[in-house]
Amino acid sequence: MVRPERTVEDRLREEYFDLLPDIRRVVSELEAEIKHCLVPISLRLDEYERLVVTSRVKECESALDSVRRRQEGATFDSGRPELYSLSSLNDLAGVRVLAFPRRRFAEADRQLRQRFPTWTADPVPGYSERDGPLALKYFGYCEASDTIRGEFQIVPMLTALFWEVEHSVIYKPSPLLKGVARSLEMQNRTRDILNGLKAFEDEFANLLRRDPLSKKRTKKKKKKKQ
Amino acid sequence: MPRLTESKTDILDEAGYAYSFDRQVYISRKKKKAFSVEFVQDHSEDQIRKYIQEHTDGPGWRFYFNSPPSEAVKHELESVLG
Repeated sequence: MVRPERTVEDRLREEYFDLLPDIRRVVSELEAEIKHCLVPISLRLDEYERLVVTSRVKECESALDSVRRRQEGATFDSGRPELYSLSSLNDLAGVRVLAFPRRRFAEADRQLRQRFPTWTADPVPGYSERDGPLALKYFGYCEASDTIRGEFQIVPMLTALFWEVEHSVIYKPSPLLKGVARSLEMQNRTRDILNGLKAFEDEFANLLRRDPLSKKRTKKKKKKKQ
Repeated sequence: MPRLTESKTDILDEAGYAYSFDRQVYISRKKKKAFSVEFVQDHSEDQIRKYIQEHTDGPGWRFYFNSPPSEAVKHELESVLG
Protein backbone atom coordinates (compact mmCIF):
# COMPACT_ATOMS: atom_id res chain seq x y z
CA MET A 1 0.00 0.00 0.00
CA VAL A 2 1.36 3.41 -0.91
CA ARG A 3 1.44 5.75 2.06
CA PRO A 4 0.10 9.20 1.34
CA GLU A 5 2.73 11.92 1.30
CA ARG A 6 3.21 13.70 4.60
CA THR A 7 1.93 17.23 4.58
CA VAL A 8 3.66 20.27 6.08
CA GLU A 9 1.07 20.10 8.88
CA ASP A 10 1.99 16.46 9.62
CA ARG A 11 5.66 17.37 9.92
CA LEU A 12 4.90 20.29 12.21
CA ARG A 13 2.70 18.11 14.43
CA GLU A 14 5.58 15.67 14.81
CA GLU A 15 7.92 18.54 15.62
CA TYR A 16 5.46 19.84 18.22
CA PHE A 17 5.46 16.60 20.19
CA ASP A 18 9.26 16.42 20.00
CA LEU A 19 9.44 19.92 21.45
CA LEU A 20 6.72 19.54 24.05
CA PRO A 21 8.95 18.44 26.99
CA ASP A 22 11.15 21.50 26.39
CA ILE A 23 8.13 23.79 26.11
CA ARG A 24 6.80 22.52 29.44
CA ARG A 25 10.18 23.00 31.13
CA VAL A 26 10.49 26.55 29.82
CA VAL A 27 6.98 27.46 31.03
CA SER A 28 7.69 26.07 34.51
CA GLU A 29 11.01 27.86 34.83
CA LEU A 30 9.75 31.16 33.46
CA GLU A 31 6.64 31.21 35.62
CA ALA A 32 8.62 30.45 38.77
CA GLU A 33 11.25 33.09 37.95
CA ILE A 34 8.65 35.75 37.23
CA LYS A 35 6.60 35.04 40.34
CA HIS A 36 9.73 35.15 42.45
CA CYS A 37 10.86 38.37 40.84
CA LEU A 38 7.49 40.05 41.49
CA VAL A 39 7.23 39.08 45.17
CA PRO A 40 8.51 42.47 46.41
CA ILE A 41 5.71 44.22 44.48
CA SER A 42 3.02 41.69 45.42
CA LEU A 43 3.75 42.20 49.11
CA ARG A 44 3.14 45.93 48.81
CA LEU A 45 -0.13 45.79 46.84
CA ASP A 46 -3.01 47.87 48.11
CA GLU A 47 -6.41 46.22 48.65
CA TYR A 48 -7.73 47.16 45.22
CA GLU A 49 -4.50 46.40 43.36
CA ARG A 50 -3.82 43.16 41.54
CA LEU A 51 -0.80 41.41 40.09
CA VAL A 52 -1.63 38.00 38.66
CA VAL A 53 0.77 35.65 36.87
CA THR A 54 -0.62 33.06 34.47
CA SER A 55 1.11 30.65 32.11
CA ARG A 56 0.25 28.42 29.21
CA VAL A 57 1.75 25.94 26.78
CA LYS A 58 0.61 26.83 23.27
CA GLU A 59 -1.54 24.05 21.88
CA CYS A 60 -0.45 22.05 18.85
CA GLU A 61 -3.08 23.23 16.35
CA SER A 62 -2.79 26.80 17.51
CA ALA A 63 0.99 26.66 16.97
CA LEU A 64 0.55 25.24 13.46
CA ASP A 65 -1.96 27.90 12.64
CA SER A 66 0.35 30.65 13.87
CA VAL A 67 3.09 29.46 11.51
CA ARG A 68 0.61 29.21 8.61
CA ARG A 69 -0.74 32.72 9.23
CA ARG A 70 2.74 34.16 8.98
CA GLN A 71 2.82 33.17 5.31
CA GLU A 72 1.37 35.59 2.79
CA GLY A 73 -1.99 34.12 1.78
CA ALA A 74 -1.87 32.00 4.97
CA THR A 75 -0.86 28.97 2.92
CA PHE A 76 2.06 26.56 3.28
CA ASP A 77 4.22 25.80 0.26
CA SER A 78 3.85 22.01 0.21
CA GLY A 79 6.89 21.72 -2.06
CA ARG A 80 9.19 23.29 0.52
CA PRO A 81 8.39 21.86 3.96
CA GLU A 82 11.89 22.69 5.19
CA LEU A 83 10.89 26.37 5.31
CA TYR A 84 8.69 25.85 8.34
CA SER A 85 9.52 25.14 11.96
CA LEU A 86 7.63 25.68 15.18
CA SER A 87 10.82 26.82 16.84
CA SER A 88 10.41 30.06 14.86
CA LEU A 89 7.58 30.98 17.25
CA ASN A 90 8.42 33.02 20.33
CA ASP A 91 5.34 32.12 22.30
CA LEU A 92 5.22 28.32 22.50
CA ALA A 93 5.94 28.79 26.20
CA GLY A 94 4.20 31.87 27.51
CA VAL A 95 3.74 33.67 30.79
CA ARG A 96 1.44 36.65 31.25
CA VAL A 97 1.48 39.19 34.06
CA LEU A 98 -1.83 40.99 34.56
CA ALA A 99 -1.50 44.24 36.45
CA PHE A 100 -3.96 46.73 37.88
CA PRO A 101 -3.75 49.69 38.06
CA ARG A 102 -1.33 50.94 35.44
CA ARG A 103 1.33 52.13 37.85
CA ARG A 104 1.80 48.48 38.88
CA PHE A 105 2.11 47.59 35.20
CA ALA A 106 5.07 49.98 34.86
CA GLU A 107 6.60 48.78 38.11
CA ALA A 108 6.35 45.11 37.11
CA ASP A 109 7.99 45.98 33.80
CA ARG A 110 10.94 47.69 35.51
CA GLN A 111 11.43 44.75 37.84
CA LEU A 112 11.28 42.13 35.09
CA ARG A 113 13.56 44.03 32.74
CA GLN A 114 16.20 43.99 35.44
CA ARG A 115 15.81 40.23 35.80
CA PHE A 116 15.83 39.55 32.01
CA PRO A 117 18.16 42.26 30.65
CA THR A 118 19.14 40.39 27.48
CA TRP A 119 15.65 39.45 26.34
CA THR A 120 14.28 41.12 23.23
CA ALA A 121 11.45 43.62 23.62
CA ASP A 122 8.54 43.16 21.24
CA PRO A 123 5.75 45.46 22.47
CA VAL A 124 2.20 45.14 21.16
CA PRO A 125 1.75 48.51 19.43
CA GLY A 126 -1.10 50.75 20.55
CA TYR A 127 -3.46 52.57 18.26
CA SER A 128 -1.68 55.89 18.71
CA GLU A 129 1.76 56.96 19.88
CA ARG A 130 0.20 59.05 22.65
CA ASP A 131 -1.43 56.01 24.26
CA GLY A 132 1.75 53.91 24.21
CA PRO A 133 1.82 50.13 23.66
CA LEU A 134 -1.18 47.94 24.48
CA ALA A 135 1.08 45.44 26.23
CA LEU A 136 4.77 44.76 26.74
CA LYS A 137 6.30 41.54 25.47
CA TYR A 138 9.76 40.07 25.80
CA PHE A 139 11.23 36.85 24.48
CA GLY A 140 14.45 34.97 25.00
CA TYR A 141 16.01 31.73 26.21
CA CYS A 142 15.77 30.18 29.67
CA GLU A 143 18.17 27.70 31.20
CA ALA A 144 15.58 24.97 30.68
CA SER A 145 16.07 24.85 26.89
CA ASP A 146 18.29 26.18 24.17
CA THR A 147 15.77 25.22 21.47
CA ILE A 148 12.58 26.87 22.67
CA ARG A 149 12.29 30.56 23.40
CA GLY A 150 10.05 31.70 26.21
CA GLU A 151 7.88 34.79 26.10
CA PHE A 152 6.40 36.89 28.85
CA GLN A 153 3.87 39.66 28.53
CA ILE A 154 2.91 42.41 30.92
CA VAL A 155 -0.63 43.50 30.23
CA PRO A 156 -3.04 45.93 31.92
CA MET A 157 -5.52 43.69 33.68
CA LEU A 158 -8.72 44.69 31.88
CA THR A 159 -7.06 44.39 28.48
CA ALA A 160 -5.70 40.94 29.39
CA LEU A 161 -9.10 39.75 30.60
CA PHE A 162 -10.74 41.00 27.40
CA TRP A 163 -8.12 39.09 25.35
CA GLU A 164 -8.81 35.97 27.41
CA VAL A 165 -12.55 36.18 26.86
CA GLU A 166 -12.06 36.87 23.17
CA HIS A 167 -9.67 33.94 22.89
CA SER A 168 -11.69 31.39 24.85
CA VAL A 169 -15.03 32.26 23.25
CA ILE A 170 -13.97 32.77 19.66
CA TYR A 171 -10.50 31.60 18.76
CA LYS A 172 -9.92 28.58 20.96
CA PRO A 173 -12.90 26.60 19.62
CA SER A 174 -12.05 27.68 16.10
CA PRO A 175 -8.46 28.83 15.51
CA LEU A 176 -9.29 29.55 11.87
CA LEU A 177 -11.28 32.57 13.02
CA LYS A 178 -8.05 34.30 14.03
CA GLY A 179 -7.94 35.75 10.54
CA VAL A 180 -11.08 37.73 11.34
CA ALA A 181 -9.04 39.86 13.73
CA ARG A 182 -6.89 41.10 10.85
CA SER A 183 -9.84 42.56 8.98
CA LEU A 184 -10.06 46.30 9.27
CA GLU A 185 -13.64 46.19 10.49
CA MET A 186 -12.68 44.01 13.48
CA GLN A 187 -9.56 46.07 14.16
CA ASN A 188 -11.78 49.13 14.50
CA ARG A 189 -14.18 47.41 16.90
CA THR A 190 -11.28 46.00 18.97
CA ARG A 191 -9.72 49.46 19.15
CA ASP A 192 -13.03 50.87 20.48
CA ILE A 193 -13.14 48.25 23.24
CA LEU A 194 -9.49 48.62 24.26
CA ASN A 195 -9.79 52.42 24.32
CA GLY A 196 -12.88 52.04 26.50
CA LEU A 197 -11.08 49.72 28.91
CA LYS A 198 -8.13 52.08 29.13
CA ALA A 199 -10.43 55.03 29.84
CA PHE A 200 -12.08 52.97 32.58
CA GLU A 201 -8.73 52.13 34.20
CA ASP A 202 -7.51 55.71 33.92
CA GLU A 203 -10.67 57.08 35.51
CA PHE A 204 -10.54 54.50 38.28
CA ALA A 205 -6.94 55.43 39.11
CA ASN A 206 -7.87 59.11 38.92
CA LEU A 207 -10.69 58.78 41.42
CA LEU A 208 -8.53 56.83 43.83
CA ARG A 209 -5.80 59.43 43.60
CA ARG A 210 -8.27 62.20 44.39
CA ASP A 211 -10.04 60.39 47.23
CA PRO A 212 -9.05 62.29 50.41
CA LEU A 213 -9.50 59.16 52.52
CA SER A 214 -7.47 56.78 50.38
CA LYS A 215 -4.12 57.84 51.93
CA LYS A 216 -5.53 57.36 55.43
CA ARG A 217 -6.61 53.85 54.50
CA THR A 218 -3.13 53.05 53.22
CA LYS A 219 -1.51 54.37 56.42
CA LYS A 220 -3.94 52.41 58.55
CA LYS A 221 -3.12 49.26 56.62
CA LYS A 222 0.61 49.83 57.11
CA LYS A 223 0.13 50.33 60.84
CA LYS A 224 -1.89 47.14 61.03
CA LYS A 225 0.95 45.23 59.39
CA GLN A 226 3.49 46.58 61.86
CA MET B 1 4.50 52.59 6.29
CA PRO B 2 1.14 52.41 4.48
CA ARG B 3 -1.54 50.65 6.51
CA LEU B 4 -4.80 48.88 6.07
CA THR B 5 -7.15 51.86 6.05
CA GLU B 6 -10.89 52.22 5.84
CA SER B 7 -10.65 53.82 2.42
CA LYS B 8 -8.64 50.89 1.01
CA THR B 9 -11.17 48.36 2.24
CA ASP B 10 -13.96 50.59 0.90
CA ILE B 11 -12.30 50.57 -2.52
CA LEU B 12 -12.10 46.77 -2.45
CA ASP B 13 -15.63 46.45 -1.11
CA GLU B 14 -17.09 48.70 -3.81
CA ALA B 15 -15.28 46.69 -6.47
CA GLY B 16 -16.91 43.50 -5.18
CA TYR B 17 -14.02 42.08 -3.13
CA ALA B 18 -14.68 40.26 0.14
CA TYR B 19 -12.28 39.34 2.92
CA SER B 20 -11.49 35.65 3.41
CA PHE B 21 -10.45 35.36 7.06
CA ASP B 22 -8.97 31.90 6.67
CA ARG B 23 -6.47 32.92 3.97
CA GLN B 24 -6.27 36.60 4.92
CA VAL B 25 -6.90 37.74 1.36
CA TYR B 26 -9.46 39.98 -0.33
CA ILE B 27 -11.01 38.07 -3.22
CA SER B 28 -13.38 38.52 -6.12
CA ARG B 29 -14.54 35.21 -7.61
CA LYS B 30 -16.02 37.08 -10.55
CA LYS B 31 -12.73 38.78 -11.44
CA LYS B 32 -10.62 35.86 -10.20
CA LYS B 33 -8.27 38.15 -8.34
CA ALA B 34 -6.90 37.87 -4.80
CA PHE B 35 -5.11 40.59 -2.81
CA SER B 36 -3.18 39.58 0.30
CA VAL B 37 -3.59 41.72 3.43
CA GLU B 38 0.15 42.47 3.30
CA PHE B 39 -0.13 43.68 -0.30
CA VAL B 40 -3.08 45.95 0.54
CA GLN B 41 -1.17 47.34 3.51
CA ASP B 42 1.93 48.08 1.47
CA HIS B 43 0.29 49.75 -1.54
CA SER B 44 -1.46 53.07 -1.90
CA GLU B 45 -5.14 53.53 -2.67
CA ASP B 46 -4.34 54.63 -6.23
CA GLN B 47 -2.19 51.57 -6.81
CA ILE B 48 -4.93 49.29 -5.52
CA ARG B 49 -7.48 50.96 -7.81
CA LYS B 50 -5.09 50.41 -10.70
CA TYR B 51 -4.65 46.72 -9.89
CA ILE B 52 -8.40 46.26 -9.52
CA GLN B 53 -8.91 47.70 -13.00
CA GLU B 54 -6.04 45.76 -14.52
CA HIS B 55 -7.18 43.48 -17.30
CA THR B 56 -6.42 39.79 -16.82
CA ASP B 57 -6.51 37.04 -19.41
CA GLY B 58 -7.25 33.39 -19.02
CA PRO B 59 -9.31 31.34 -16.64
CA GLY B 60 -6.73 31.26 -13.78
CA TRP B 61 -6.57 33.36 -10.65
CA ARG B 62 -4.35 36.43 -10.41
CA PHE B 63 -2.61 36.83 -7.05
CA TYR B 64 -1.50 40.25 -5.86
CA PHE B 65 1.07 39.34 -3.20
CA ASN B 66 4.22 41.12 -2.04
CA SER B 67 6.19 37.93 -2.69
CA PRO B 68 4.91 36.06 -5.71
CA PRO B 69 3.39 32.76 -4.52
CA SER B 70 4.98 29.49 -5.62
CA GLU B 71 3.12 27.14 -7.94
CA ALA B 72 2.25 24.90 -4.98
CA VAL B 73 0.78 27.82 -3.03
CA LYS B 74 -1.16 29.02 -6.09
CA HIS B 75 -2.51 25.52 -6.62
CA GLU B 76 -3.59 25.22 -2.99
CA LEU B 77 -5.23 28.66 -3.00
CA GLU B 78 -6.99 28.01 -6.30
CA SER B 79 -8.48 24.82 -4.91
CA VAL B 80 -9.77 26.71 -1.86
CA LEU B 81 -11.00 29.78 -3.72
CA GLY B 82 -12.88 27.79 -6.32
